[in-house]
Amino acid sequence: MTAALRNPTRRRLLTTAILAAVILVPAMLGFSKKFLEFLALVGNEDGAFAVLPVLNYLLVSLGFVFLFGWALLHGMFRNIEQPKFDMLANERRLDDEARCEDEEAWDRESF
Amino acid sequence: MFETKSGIFLIAGLGMFALAFLSNGLVPWLMYTNLPEKTVEELIVEQANDPERARSVLTEFRDLHDRYPEAFARYYGEPTVESCAVALREGRRVYVAEGCWHCHSQFVRPVSNEEPRWGPVARSWEFQNELQKPVLFGTRRVGPDLSREGGRHSNDWHVVHFFQPRWTSPDSVMPEYPWFFDGSTHEGPGAPNRRGIAIITYMQWLGSWLKQYPHYHQTEALWPRGIQ
Amino acid sequence: MTQDSSTASQRAAPLVDERLVLWYFVAALVYFAVSLLGGLLMAAQLVHHNPLRGIEFFSPGRWRMIHTNAVAYGFIANAFLGALHWSIPRLTMKPVLDARLSWFIFAAWQVVVVATAGGILAGQAQALEWGETPVWVDPLAQAGLLLVAINFLGPIVRTPGPLYVSLWYFMAAFVWTFLTYAMGNFLPQYFVPGTGGGAIAGMFIHDLVGLFVTPIGWGLMYYFVPILLQKPIWSHGLSLVGFWGLAFFYPLTGIHHFLYTPIPMFLQYGSVVSTIAVEFVVTTVIINFLGTVWGSSGEVWRSLPLRWFYTGMLFYFVTCLQCALQVTLTFQALIHFTDWVVGHAHLVMFGVFGFWILGYMTYLFPRLLRTDWVSPALCEWHFGLSAGGMLVMFTDLVLAGIFQGFSWAALLPWEDSLRTSIPFWYVRLASGLAIIVGQVCFAVNIWWTYQAARRRAAAEPTLAPAE
Repeated sequence: MTAALRNPTRRRLLTTAILAAVILVPAMLGFSKKFLEFLALVGNEDGAFAVLPVLNYLLVSLGFVFLFGWALLHGMFRNIEQPKFDMLANERRLDDEARCEDEEAWDRESF
Repeated sequence: MFETKSGIFLIAGLGMFALAFLSNGLVPWLMYTNLPEKTVEELIVEQANDPERARSVLTEFRDLHDRYPEAFARYYGEPTVESCAVALREGRRVYVAEGCWHCHSQFVRPVSNEEPRWGPVARSWEFQNELQKPVLFGTRRVGPDLSREGGRHSNDWHVVHFFQPRWTSPDSVMPEYPWFFDGSTHEGPGAPNRRGIAIITYMQWLGSWLKQYPHYHQTEALWPRGIQ
Repeated sequence: MTQDSSTASQRAAPLVDERLVLWYFVAALVYFAVSLLGGLLMAAQLVHHNPLRGIEFFSPGRWRMIHTNAVAYGFIANAFLGALHWSIPRLTMKPVLDARLSWFIFAAWQVVVVATAGGILAGQAQALEWGETPVWVDPLAQAGLLLVAINFLGPIVRTPGPLYVSLWYFMAAFVWTFLTYAMGNFLPQYFVPGTGGGAIAGMFIHDLVGLFVTPIGWGLMYYFVPILLQKPIWSHGLSLVGFWGLAFFYPLTGIHHFLYTPIPMFLQYGSVVSTIAVEFVVTTVIINFLGTVWGSSGEVWRSLPLRWFYTGMLFYFVTCLQCALQVTLTFQALIHFTDWVVGHAHLVMFGVFGFWILGYMTYLFPRLLRTDWVSPALCEWHFGLSAGGMLVMFTDLVLAGIFQGFSWAALLPWEDSLRTSIPFWYVRLASGLAIIVGQVCFAVNIWWTYQAARRRAAAEPTLAPAE
């Protein structure tokens, strides 16, 4: 166990698993309870009242899913992680430039 | 579409905002178009002409005229429907300007024992008028809900209460409003001025549209019952 | 920037107008001070110790509105605009559309904020929560927001995509802020009375937080956290999930401010459901930032700006968790109208966004002034007093809210809820004072650092700070 904990990959996996259990188990329990209540509603008088908003949300989300699929098919999200590296590179370049300017100014000052 | 700038602008920026506005803004807006927005004059005449009721907001307005004839004549002339409408509009303006609505709500909820405490639960038609544009539901109650306040207290009580709230309600944390009165001394308020008469008329108007006006507190009789 | 001619010729216009950033920050802090004093006045009123009783222009009711408006439009808006003038040019590698326009917007926005405060003090408030700006200021502010959008969208649209997630947030926020302001300030005022207008006013309250403050706040976090940690965000893909989740669910939540009003129940349910969905989205964002700091968590203790940021995120998670609970009708019955909500609002506006703002100010002031903080100890005090004060205030007000709610539901006489609240309100006053002292530490430190920068500039003219 201690050996496993010393391994960073293992430790990360374990933490993730524990956190997942802590979050997901109560969430799933709560959701299942509410979902069963919802199913029980479907048959009776208030049914339409409860089902309609949910149906609306599902329909809108469905449109969203189609748009997403369309975007995927048109070649988007192929290199989704690239911008985060570009952003850091830009920042480094700007900082270096600023440092050079400061040094130039310093040089001029000392002569 | 999703990863492009136009996608962000059109779908996220305009589209999703429009979706929310249509479903959560336009729907309730259109739902109440069958209840036309009443003007202040209509509201006053409606209750004054109702044969089933003994009192209306005009009753209280005339009472203010009788109690403070000089101040009343100076600021509002005669207690007519027109001058009452002027006072109500001004009263609402003062209510908003002084931030009253940040410590007093104007709707009764169907939960938490609010019906026995305040009176009938709020209904949509009560708010379809000029004095609820924008609506003054409020989101905080440091002081009591005021939507059923009209007629519960006399005009004299309101004069003292606005001048020094703790003289009528010893635990009150409400600020004093000496600028609602002319000629006050340390011993007490003078006559209510333009704003004073207006805010008191507005107080007396709140809830006056209900058949049961005034609607008195029942809390003391109910008190030992505890939470329902 | 007071660079000498040779440096200036190398780059015709500086990428970042550092002087403007500095001015925005100073303006933000001035309004923050005004807001804190307004809060102090209200807190003193609630414990019967208001020293300025019975004076019309110090009426706590009016200062309560100045308190919130100064925070939203004075402190947060100015601090965000300053940070946007820093981050957008650096993210796009292009200056804003027009430097003169930037200065014009700066001046115009200060006119808007001062006019709002003056109007409210003169008794011209508009009956719209978080938008008490007098009606004659509204068109002015609306035009200002349009100019802000144009000025910043200039460099963004000229940047080849796909964009970094911060720019996604900024771009959408410019559209949303403009629309939100127009919707909230004009529709209930002129067109929609009563309940329908209430639904729109509720959307305004929430969209102002959710579609103006939140996207710009998170956009700035996605920018500042990676550059301070010197490593990229954990997952750019996940950050986009967060963006689209916010874009979809956040605008739908507004009516949750008016639960149990006569607004149709199906709309109230809808807002509850989407609010809970927002909390799932928030969780993905939090996970992303925890993933980013994983392996360098020591930095959070060593670097003060990062500590501000991550404390803010912790508070953000707390508010969102709280929100998922309080938005349910069960909780609403008890805690609506109470100080619980006041605690929640303070944690969001100061504990989260205020902390992020103060965090990046802690990072940027030395860079703008080209001088390290004169007193790192005062920086620590600033953080400690703010965080401690905030934590106490939040806990205190949430507890007070529960007591108030039960007192009302039990049909005790109204005064009972006031007597119960007074001890809590004393604690709130004390915690507020701690926060104020913390900000005084910050102000003193800025002044000292500015003086040090001036002295250094006198000795080395070419290294003059942006002032």
